[in-house]
Amino acid sequence: MTTSRRGGAPCGERRRALVIPGLWLLGALGLLCLASLVIGAGDVGPLTSLRTLFFQPQGLTAASEEARFVILELRGPRTLVGLAVGAALGVAGALLQAVARNPLAEPGLLGVSAGSAFAIALALVLGASAATLRVSVAQLGALAGCACVLAAGRVNALGQDPVRLVLTGAVLSGLLGALTSLLLMMDQRAADEIRFWLVGSLAGRRLSDLQAILPSLLLAAAITLSIARPLSALALGERVAVGLGHHPRRVRLLAIAVVALLVGAATAIAGPIAFVGLVVPFAARALAGPDIRRTLWLALPLGPIVVIAADIVARVVVRPSELSLGVITALLGAPVLVAVVRSRRLPTL
Amino acid sequence: MNASSPDSISNLRGLGDTGSPAATHRHVPVVRPPAGYWRLALPITGKDGAILIDRRALAANLGLIVALLALSGLSLCLGSVTLAPLETVRALLGQGDAMDAFLVHELRLPRLAAGIATGAAFALSGCLMQTLAGNRLATPGIIGIDNGATAFAVASVVGMGMSLAPPPLALAGAATATALTFGLAGGVGTRGYRFIVAGIGVGAVFGALTQLMLARVDIDTANAAYPWTMGSLNARDPASLWALAGALSIGLVISRYIAQALNVLRFSDSVAAGLGIRVRCCRRGALMLSVTLTALAVAVAGPVGMVALIGPELARHVSSPRGVPLMGSALAGALVMVGADLAGRLMLAPLEIPVGIVTAVIGGPLLLWILLRPSRRTC
Amino acid sequence: MHQNSQLPGPLSAQGLELGYGAGRRQTRRTVIENLDIALPAGQVTAIVGPNGCGKSTLLAGLARLHAPRKGVVHLDGQDIQRLPARELAQRLALLPQDTQAPEGLTVAELIRFGRQPHQGLLRQWSVEDERVVKAALAAAHLTDLADRTLDAMSGGQRQRAWIAMAIAQQTPLLLLDEPTAALDLGHQLEVFELIRGLAAAGKTVVMVVHDLDSACRFADHLVAMQSGRIVTAGRPSDVVSEDLVRTLYGIDCTLLSDPATGSPILANMRRTRAPAVGDDAPGSSQLCKTGA
Repeated sequence: MTTSRRGGAPCGERRRALVIPGLWLLGALGLLCLASLVIGAGDVGPLTSLRTLFFQPQGLTAASEEARFVILELRGPRTLVGLAVGAALGVAGALLQAVARNPLAEPGLLGVSAGSAFAIALALVLGASAATLRVSVAQLGALAGCACVLAAGRVNALGQDPVRLVLTGAVLSGLLGALTSLLLMMDQRAADEIRFWLVGSLAGRRLSDLQAILPSLLLAAAITLSIARPLSALALGERVAVGLGHHPRRVRLLAIAVVALLVGAATAIAGPIAFVGLVVPFAARALAGPDIRRTLWLALPLGPIVVIAADIVARVVVRPSELSLGVITALLGAPVLVAVVRSRRLPTL
Repeated sequence: MNASSPDSISNLRGLGDTGSPAATHRHVPVVRPPAGYWRLALPITGKDGAILIDRRALAANLGLIVALLALSGLSLCLGSVTLAPLETVRALLGQGDAMDAFLVHELRLPRLAAGIATGAAFALSGCLMQTLAGNRLATPGIIGIDNGATAFAVASVVGMGMSLAPPPLALAGAATATALTFGLAGGVGTRGYRFIVAGIGVGAVFGALTQLMLARVDIDTANAAYPWTMGSLNARDPASLWALAGALSIGLVISRYIAQALNVLRFSDSVAAGLGIRVRCCRRGALMLSVTLTALAVAVAGPVGMVALIGPELARHVSSPRGVPLMGSALAGALVMVGADLAGRLMLAPLEIPVGIVTAVIGGPLLLWILLRPSRRTC
Repeated sequence: MHQNSQLPGPLSAQGLELGYGAGRRQTRRTVIENLDIALPAGQVTAIVGPNGCGKSTLLAGLARLHAPRKGVVHLDGQDIQRLPARELAQRLALLPQDTQAPEGLTVAELIRFGRQPHQGLLRQWSVEDERVVKAALAAAHLTDLADRTLDAMSGGQRQRAWIAMAIAQQTPLLLLDEPTAALDLGHQLEVFELIRGLAAAGKTVVMVVHDLDSACRFADHLVAMQSGRIVTAGRPSDVVSEDLVRTLYGIDCTLLSDPATGSPILANMRRTRAPAVGDDAPGSSQLCKTGA
């Protein structure tokens, strides 16, 4: 964080290494948000949108009224939701990778998203339907999924081998996905209710959805700030962290709780979206080096950049219908996955 | 002076004699087969002509065949309309009630045939892939081949408006996915689990492409393709089934032929090479066979990749540990497929659960167990 | 055995270049360049040298596990690259270092695999097969353990079983890559005695050995390698000198003579420098003359 070591020149260097890419990213994010407001699947084209946004059109024609509605009521909330979801997934990915000490750890790959999706399907089948219930249920499911994979990682030192851990996660995701499908087949009502949600998308999300997850996000942010320093010490190994006066187990549990909070919240409103948590920390490390604190800071703008860009693509490619966001992130993320695996030595975190 | 003293040699002189090829060539009139085998002398190929039959494997295969027959019978009897065994037999023979005959001949029998053929093909290709990769988790479904075949097959629906999943496109897709996975991982032998994760990545891309294409077609076509993308025996098409049956019978013959080489592939590469196996050639052959079978099976039933894992695993449990259970895997795969299809039809009747979901629910825990069991060797 | 040493060996290589990686990427690495070697028939040859000097690569090249980039390996005058795989396996047995066996394999089953080069699809078990497997079991003193699984055996027994598999291949030539790696002294002796027995039975054995003392004691012919080149080759008592030890391992030592066998023994070892790497090692011709 900014109050990092007072180490003379290197400290300034380091901060610059964070600030410069950060500013670039913020700029890019701003542009993307604008693009997200003006580009869409519907009839309201970019030019109309720009005109509506910047030059208050004279006279309330029907067309401009429609454009206003589309931008403020549909695309605006959608962009805000994208911001929140992207930041949540990006930070969750960075945290999970730090905890698992594994550059392949990713909420989607490790079955965390699948866990929350399954939990929601189960809750719906059991009769729940309230939107607020959905958030906490999704978070519980995420926590369970996370705990499952990390517990599995403890068996036979599986966690030492990043690749096998991911395999375990993929298996768990597949199993939970199949169980979710099974549940939905058993209950047609639940299926209709969440089918659009299960594929992962930002379409039609409202500000009220965002309000429902805001408390979780704030809580997660607070915890993250408190554990960032111990986490960076943990990267040097458990013994070193203990030697520096930290409590690795407590830090790890808190980090997992944060991951569950974030992923649960993001999944609750946007559905399971894989690979964001993989791509974002990967890019952040490429930009600013391996320190987890810098990765976390950069994940804040990078996550939304990835999600909003993917969302824009999802709106455009199959116009006039829309594609699910998960498809785009998978197309983006799978090459990154392969790249990480291919690198000669898997970097240990 | 020589490094070895005279006495150290003289101590070992007798030993050397037994080891020498020319020594003590006494003719043993009766050849005793190794423990656990029957030796079947073949008069046609001279006095040394003989094949060894693994008794345990034989018993296991016979057991699997009996189980498969029993389950097939059940599968013909049970369903939305339950037939008594006798009625089923009569319907099979073309006698009895016309409605029953239609039900058995036109609906249940083709479905059963598709189940047996796809199950056997998936499991055989899984066993081949596991053996050539030296890893029990390396099945075509996991390394993305199923998804590749599915994506290309779906492309045929979307792009060309042809019938659902023609085998050639599935083959092209499977080959593409295989080439990508192996190319990206840099070969199979050395990188262990890495190539599996590369395969997961490739599979994710093809899965996303499938979704993308399904999103572009009208809702009716998408709905028609949906159960098939989950893996189901509903959407089988006779031409694909015949193609699969042909490939499967050729595949079983070939796999019988390469079984000995595959047995040696379970050792490390250098051991296998030292035993006179052309390792690379053998691997490539097994890979091609595996990919072909997977693609053709996907063309019939969609990606039911888990059978490729469950079948060989089951076969390994019941069959002899001495060899690669190729035949056993095929039988066990057919058994699993028919069983899963039957369960899917009965569990939530009148609703039908796609067989892909049933096998995924069974196969997931199995995979986890393989990953988490006390670490021994992986092959 | 000394009289054999002049016989032209069954296995030889000329102008051999071996390496890893292909193309022009940084991964391309040449391990052995322009190497000539001839192995004496009916003797035990030990290849020694510091870690990474290319011993195992050379052995793999001789056994055709690696295709040479340049040069040729001759087996009885034939280019081994041109031999069919099965025929090569009938004439040359290899015991690599990474011996992994499938779970639950018994000793007898392992040894039976050694018969594979001699078997066919319709010729799976002959009188000869049975006899040879029995003989190999007896040669390795494993007859009583034939039905034991490999997992349940000691390291020395397991290594003997692997050698027995190579014996069952009935080849006049055996190539062993570090047959005693990770074995304690007693088990090492078990394996070396078995190897001496093979030579006594007329087989040509080539082995990569880590320990110079054992190589001197159990080999008739020593090939000392460094940085992918042969520094010297000959009878151990002829070629092993204090200079050679210094060249190979960067160690000053006093050479003693084993009171029982007369083979050289290293004593009073002190490190002089880091082991030499690269091209600054003295040439082989010079060192050949310094032998005792």
